[in-house]
Amino acid sequence: MNGERTATGAGGDSSSGPPLLELAGVGKDYAKIESRGGRVALVWDLLRGRGASSAFTAVDGVSFAMRAGESLGVIGENGAGKSTLLKVVAGVIRPTRGTVSVRGRVGALLELGSGFHPEYTGSQNIDLAAALLGVTPAELAQRRESIVRFADLGPHLDDPIKHYSSGMVVRLGFAVATALAPDVLITDEVLAVGDESFQKKCMAWMENYLAGGGTLLLCSHSMYHVQKLCRHALWLRAGRVERYGPAIEVTQAYLAWHEEKSGAGKARRPEVHTGEGPDVHRVRSLALDPGEFVRIGAPLTVRGEAYSPDARAPVVLIGLVRADGTPVYGVATDMDGVAPRRIAHDRYAFSLEFPSLSLLPGKYVVRAHALDPEGVYLFDHVELPLTVTGESRELGLVRLAHRWDGEPPAESPSPAATRPDTTG
Amino acid sequence: MDEAVRAGPPADALVRARALFAQFFRREAPTRYLGSVTGLAWALVHPIALLAVYHFVFTTVFRATGFAGSSFLAFVAVALWPWLAAQEAIQRAAVSIPGYGGLIRKVAFPHEVVVYASVAATLALHFAGYVVVLVVLRAIGEPIHLAGLLLAIPLWAVMALAVAGLSLALSALQVFVRDVEHVLMPVLMMLMYLTPILYPLSLVPETMRGVVSANPFTWLVDRLRAALLEGRLGLEAGDLVAVAVALALFAAGRWIFVRLSPHFEDFV
Repeated sequence: MNGERTATGAGGDSSSGPPLLELAGVGKDYAKIESRGGRVALVWDLLRGRGASSAFTAVDGVSFAMRAGESLGVIGENGAGKSTLLKVVAGVIRPTRGTVSVRGRVGALLELGSGFHPEYTGSQNIDLAAALLGVTPAELAQRRESIVRFADLGPHLDDPIKHYSSGMVVRLGFAVATALAPDVLITDEVLAVGDESFQKKCMAWMENYLAGGGTLLLCSHSMYHVQKLCRHALWLRAGRVERYGPAIEVTQAYLAWHEEKSGAGKARRPEVHTGEGPDVHRVRSLALDPGEFVRIGAPLTVRGEAYSPDARAPVVLIGLVRADGTPVYGVATDMDGVAPRRIAHDRYAFSLEFPSLSLLPGKYVVRAHALDPEGVYLFDHVELPLTVTGESRELGLVRLAHRWDGEPPAESPSPAATRPDTTG
Repeated sequence: MDEAVRAGPPADALVRARALFAQFFRREAPTRYLGSVTGLAWALVHPIALLAVYHFVFTTVFRATGFAGSSFLAFVAVALWPWLAAQEAIQRAAVSIPGYGGLIRKVAFPHEVVVYASVAATLALHFAGYVVVLVVLRAIGEPIHLAGLLLAIPLWAVMALAVAGLSLALSALQVFVRDVEHVLMPVLMMLMYLTPILYPLSLVPETMRGVVSANPFTWLVDRLRAALLEGRLGLEAGDLVAVAVALALFAAGRWIFVRLSPHFEDFV
């Protein structure tokens, strides 16, 4: 369509000019109909130019901008407003509040095959879809060949699509939407449909599109896809932006939040359990150095003070658990043959250093327990939240020392292309 | 409410709407007529059957006279076709939006094109039937001035404008209030008998004549008869008023549609 797309290299923020897509304070309310007469009342309200008197806010206060060549993944739980947001950007829904400005053609794949008519043949549906996308007949004539090739329907192109398998419909839909060179491509979980070979074809197309300077707005439940295809991510929670930033950071925060949430039933909130009465060993204070946020591979020191009712040095146990309660590592002073340092007759200081924290990015909890000198009675514990930050697509809890026997990839556009999809 | 700003030359939107109209028109016309076995014939069968029944009732049973010097057949045919066309166009267009629900929920496009395509498909078909019937009536010796068809085209165009306006309003309301469709049928039926289609305006009592003439369709029927039965092709002052009324109906209908259409997505 126009050959003036400037390809921005990976990590390059050099793109200039006005953003291709800009949302400012976008919100969308849906009218709630409570009674039979509610519909009539709603029509009356709408005709007078008012909003619905009773509304449900699906999306609110969303602002972001995308320049040519950028890619943004929208993540969030079901019902968080992802689809509504994408529809607003695609122009399917007019926002109740705020503005959406788009400079260029938006190609939306909100549901593959949604623009098709079941009685039409594949070929006629290409015409219909092109008209819906705003493609001129001349432009369509140029691209028809590549659409037909990508869809790969063979002789079925002239059959009514009601006789197609869902995979064939999906192929045709993707072929049409992608062949028409949108400036911004919006897709809603479409990578999840179709067979494996088609998914590979889609991924290859997307990577190629992005490498060629295409702009992608993707909505997905697969953090793997988001991390692989998107530079930025936007986490929607109950219609609002919970977090917006580099894809790795946001997806990790989202996953950590999920872990925390699934563990919430087990009361994993950081808290202090004080022992009963003053005559037990207990942890008086706990601190993390450098603090709650630590980069993967950076040093972490856990220090604090323990109280001893009988002036004997207590045993201190430090444990690391994931936010959902999964234990990761625990070690006590007596295991390593040390004792906390005495600072007063009944107070002991402890300090444990991890010179290079190998926990993978995510949310964790640091727990300190004070035990009696025999290490038998565990009276109480104190918890502090710990967030490990950093960019890593490794899986699991910790980074284990490892070494591959292999060779550097041969000019593959994405080193991740051969990684098996074990996430999502 | 802020408008979504969509850049690009305005001509783009028009080109796109035209392409969509062509697609939707094709979708409306064949699915309705060519899709069924009886096909295009239906467009002629229904009005011809009605005409035959009216002919029997009025000339044989009631022995009515006074059709402005014309035969009953020609007198009624000239007015009945546009009325049936308008009635069917409104009824079909009023329920046209839900048929495009899948598109409205997933694809951004100007929704009003659906209504225009539906109205245009119905009117175009019945205009074709109108021409055929007038030619046939002329061939069997009825007093029809075929030159009047030259004026019938702009007259139908004015009607189309008004019908489009009414259809826009009704189709938008129908999305929210499903009763529109059911109220429409009896209302249109009553309006037909209050319009001088089966009788000349001269038979209407003086006291009621003002009310009946106020109906815009009375103007259309009157002008069509003048052109096709009497061969009067000149324009009249009342034509300007009629065009203004049609424009006002269209503007009002479109205003209602534009207000309501952003909310279709949630209700279709």
